[in-house]
Amino acid sequence: MTCQDARMSLLEYQRGRLRPAAREAIRAHLESCAECTREDAVERALDDALEQRMPQHAAPLALKRRLATQWRDDPRMRPARWSGWGSALVPALAVAAVLLAVLPLYYQRAGDSTRSGPAMVTEAVNDHLRILSSEHPIAIESGGIHQVKPWFEGRLDFAPVLAFGGDGEFPLQGGAVGYYLDRKAAVFVFHRRLHTISLFVFRAEGLPWTGRGLEQVGTVMARVTTSRGFNVILWRSGELGYALVSDVDRQELTQLATKISG
Amino acid sequence: MERGGKGSGSTLGREALAYADTLFNLARYLTGNPTDAEDLVQETYARAIQAAGQFSPGTNLKAWLFRILRNTFISSYRRQRHDPTVGGLDTVDPIAHGQDAAQWLRGDPELDRLRKVVGEEIEQALMKLSEEGRSVILLDLEGLTEVEVAQVLGCAVGTVKSRLARARSALRLYLKDYAR
Repeated sequence: MTCQDARMSLLEYQRGRLRPAAREAIRAHLESCAECTREDAVERALDDALEQRMPQHAAPLALKRRLATQWRDDPRMRPARWSGWGSALVPALAVAAVLLAVLPLYYQRAGDSTRSGPAMVTEAVNDHLRILSSEHPIAIESGGIHQVKPWFEGRLDFAPVLAFGGDGEFPLQGGAVGYYLDRKAAVFVFHRRLHTISLFVFRAEGLPWTGRGLEQVGTVMARVTTSRGFNVILWRSGELGYALVSDVDRQELTQLATKISG
Repeated sequence: MERGGKGSGSTLGREALAYADTLFNLARYLTGNPTDAEDLVQETYARAIQAAGQFSPGTNLKAWLFRILRNTFISSYRRQRHDPTVGGLDTVDPIAHGQDAAQWLRGDPELDRLRKVVGEEIEQALMKLSEEGRSVILLDLEGLTEVEVAQVLGCAVGTVKSRLARARSALRLYLKDYAR
């Protein structure tokens, strides 16, 4: 492989998109070529600057409200099959409303025997323990979040959203696909000194998120708790749920959660 | 569009609205100011509603919205203003300025400089790129594959690869100036 060939494929290599043979060829070339190794390092530094330090401009809340109204009010966006069914649906909607009001109370009282808040914490710790005991917990080694996130495409039915892709304090080791309760999850493994930190990102819909006892962590309201000696932080953002688990102290885990939630 | 299915208006709307921040960020870097970015995003969603029937459930919604946004930008905004970034360094054949780049890249200090640049400098450097250069950098940053970026930009995959290489090369040169 020539230097020109290697540099043509360097970005794809860094993003983990090459086939194994091509990846191995680049890796072998980099081991024997100082110039390309340096180019690899500079490109990664540019990625790091863009991912970590380039200002991200969030849409103003007023704009989001306008967009929601615009989408909701457009007649093309209303399900046609419901037209004329209004009167028939009223009793069903009433029952649904009662169930929506009662079911959370039921789940809350049912405690550990159901998928309640404690069960979500228990599941997060169990999943973290599986990662700690696994010989190969990582399916994609990290060359930065820019490499790990695209790897999930086609493997999950959602795109994990992370505002943080690792740094010197909390390096990102890599990612894998796992399960959280009844659904697939994107698993990210970070480190803090010698400690392992697991982050599970999953669809939040249908889980018994509690609104009580939440703490402000960065920009989100999160449940911060301890179970079996592990600190656990659970929160939801839009359609996604997040579970962060580790034996690092609570303050450090909160610090990471703040970075991840943006 | 399949009414009531995964691609129903309400579902599609909810999923599309989840990308408001991402779209606004791209719009902000394309237009260069928040007011135009707001208008561009609002117009993008209006066009998305009109074209919702053409969206195939299961395909990449983010890439679809990006394509609408960029097409809207090109048709509605770029022509309205003089774009000082057209013809930026990233539109030049890399061979033409490659010597300068290679000379600078030989020095190890580039890594240190890149590690020290701050957000404002990165933004300024990015805004010096041509619109095509900025777009390809931002879409790549969003994790789109080269095939998806090609679909958004309406060009060949090979063109994406070369545009991205030129844009990153130019960005490195611009950042060199800020980090000194």
